[in-house]
Amino acid sequence: MQLNPSEISDLIKKKIENFDVSVEAHTEGTVVSITDGIITVHGLSEAMQGEMLEFPENTFGMALNLERDSVGVVMLGAYQHISEGDTVKCTGKILEVPVGEALLGRVVDSLGNPIDGKGAVETTETSPVEKIAPGVIARQSVDQPVQLGLKSIDSMIPVGRGQRELIIGDRQTGKTAIAIDAIINQKGTGVKCIYVAIGQKRSSVANVVRKLEEHDALAHTIIVTATASEAAALQFIAPYTGCSMGEYFRDKGEDALIIYDDLTKQAWAYRQMSLLLRRPPGREAYPGDVFYIHSRLLERASRINEAEVEKLTGGKVKGKTGSLTALPIIETQGGDVSAFVPTNVISITDGQIFLESDLFNSGIRPAVNAGLSVSRVGGAAQTKIIKKLGGGIRLDLAQYRELAAFAQFASDLDESTRKQIERGQRVTELMKQDQYSPMSVAEMGVSLHAANQGFLDDLDVAKVRDFEAALQSYMKSEQADLMQKINDTGDYSDEIKKGIQSAIEAFIKTSSW
Amino acid sequence: MSELSTLARPYAEAVFKQAIESGSVSDWSDSLNLLSLVMQDKEMVAIIANPKVSSDQLTTLLLDICQDQLKEESINFLKVLIENDRLILAPQISELYESYKAEHEGYIDVEVTSAYSLTKEEQNKFASTLKKQLGKTVHITTSIDKSLIGGYIAKAGDKVIDGSVKGQLQQLAKKL
Repeated sequence: MQLNPSEISDLIKKKIENFDVSVEAHTEGTVVSITDGIITVHGLSEAMQGEMLEFPENTFGMALNLERDSVGVVMLGAYQHISEGDTVKCTGKILEVPVGEALLGRVVDSLGNPIDGKGAVETTETSPVEKIAPGVIARQSVDQPVQLGLKSIDSMIPVGRGQRELIIGDRQTGKTAIAIDAIINQKGTGVKCIYVAIGQKRSSVANVVRKLEEHDALAHTIIVTATASEAAALQFIAPYTGCSMGEYFRDKGEDALIIYDDLTKQAWAYRQMSLLLRRPPGREAYPGDVFYIHSRLLERASRINEAEVEKLTGGKVKGKTGSLTALPIIETQGGDVSAFVPTNVISITDGQIFLESDLFNSGIRPAVNAGLSVSRVGGAAQTKIIKKLGGGIRLDLAQYRELAAFAQFASDLDESTRKQIERGQRVTELMKQDQYSPMSVAEMGVSLHAANQGFLDDLDVAKVRDFEAALQSYMKSEQADLMQKINDTGDYSDEIKKGIQSAIEAFIKTSSW
Repeated sequence: MSELSTLARPYAEAVFKQAIESGSVSDWSDSLNLLSLVMQDKEMVAIIANPKVSSDQLTTLLLDICQDQLKEESINFLKVLIENDRLILAPQISELYESYKAEHEGYIDVEVTSAYSLTKEEQNKFASTLKKQLGKTVHITTSIDKSLIGGYIAKAGDKVIDGSVKGQLQQLAKKL
């Protein structure tokens, strides 16, 4: 963007004209000690918990420990220029970040400053980062789906709008991949996405941005990043910042999807801050309120009813509900879900998608463990066609798992057991899906129908995916009307069922794969 | 610094309660002030910190220095401080004591810094407006700081009222 000099000096002139000369009254304190991003300030008797404190050279800190004679402050950013004896002012405000439509397509830091080199973000509104979640009266139950575009998840572990579904697994099991596919699949649905990267490598974040750009999905996405090199306080705040940006859409009666990648690192950052603030350490050296930092964050993901939207918008938006769906990510160490932070977040969320390295390494990607993954509320929100067909898939896989373990020891099996194992193998194969290729409801419906009706049973296991790919391209070219109809209605009526059945039969007769 | 005042608080509170009971608030103020001045002396600090000097020696030394100016109660207090090894807190105790005294008597110390010296009339005007704002009688001490350019800064404890040209320029700079 080119700077226009006259415009700028005009702007400045206007600002000077409108500058209100006021006598400023504030509370002051003095810096006593500086250690690893934690500053102890003497005085500031009127400081509030979480208040922004102003340091010299326009730097800010957040008051976290209020003691009798001193205040413990964490710095938001560089603190090298601050020295003992500097004065600190109370601002009387808690941390606020810009929110609004203008943030879509942008990459910002934890304080809402753009870091993508595309110039200033033209927002007018700001919102505090810490807000109380909507109350009981304001809420509505989850009954609309968020399609993540992944067969294995949408059919077996459906996610509804306003739900909190945890993605949990070891490193290198494809957690972020699921999140990115979910964002890509929201293209054209009106669901705004927020991707919060906490404590990650800058290169990984750059990669995510590039992938989203390639798949034309950046335009409906806000990326909030606090990378590994940034101050612990910024890594701690990032999820709350992202959440406030998401709540803006929810409170306007729109739908938003937020991904926290990942909350383990946020807990680490908070642990660092707490230990430096000399708060007593508890289990795994986390402070006592590590549960609360996650519960208050995830409680804010919710679906609010029409009355609440109308109230929040001042009557401008009527008859619309708003939602903020959260997909927090937790990284486990060696598959240990009974560690402190994983158990906490599992108990807070409405279900989890459990990813396993064994599955991932044996080529089952997404590496979803269908047995341990659940969705506690998503079933009510599932599209009819997926719901009807998904039940069969789930059952097939459950029976297969049971028999597969047992069948390892038996050489000859009876006919029905063998059939079930073969069906299971084929369904497992069908559940594999490439990255960056989310599927529509109709595409999923056709694949699941083929599995349910036994079309895969006669195939060689290795051929299942080729068959599926050929079938999808046939349906796309020959049965576009039918597919459109399924996508529009989401129904699995007799007519649609017959339509799919006869289309697949026709495909088998005419095509090869 | 903050830790020292936390340690000094129980002493200051005890002294202040005792002073009110015996009706010798200003006497105590003088003796605490004296003690704090003595403790701020560099040589004195070195002696206190020296582990070779026993507490008996320290008591004799301090009593020699300020015997005639301290009353019996103050001498007892001095002994308590020596016994608890808290002599070094004397300046903080004195400071806290003064703030209790100010609170008790319903006045507040305000430090007014201005770019130019204030006349008596101006000081009185300040005192009355500040009294209205802070709701307490105001004891003003003044100082001059040319770098303010114009206007004044009033400091009462933590509270700062900034009406200086320098402060306003800083505000403007922030806005731009």
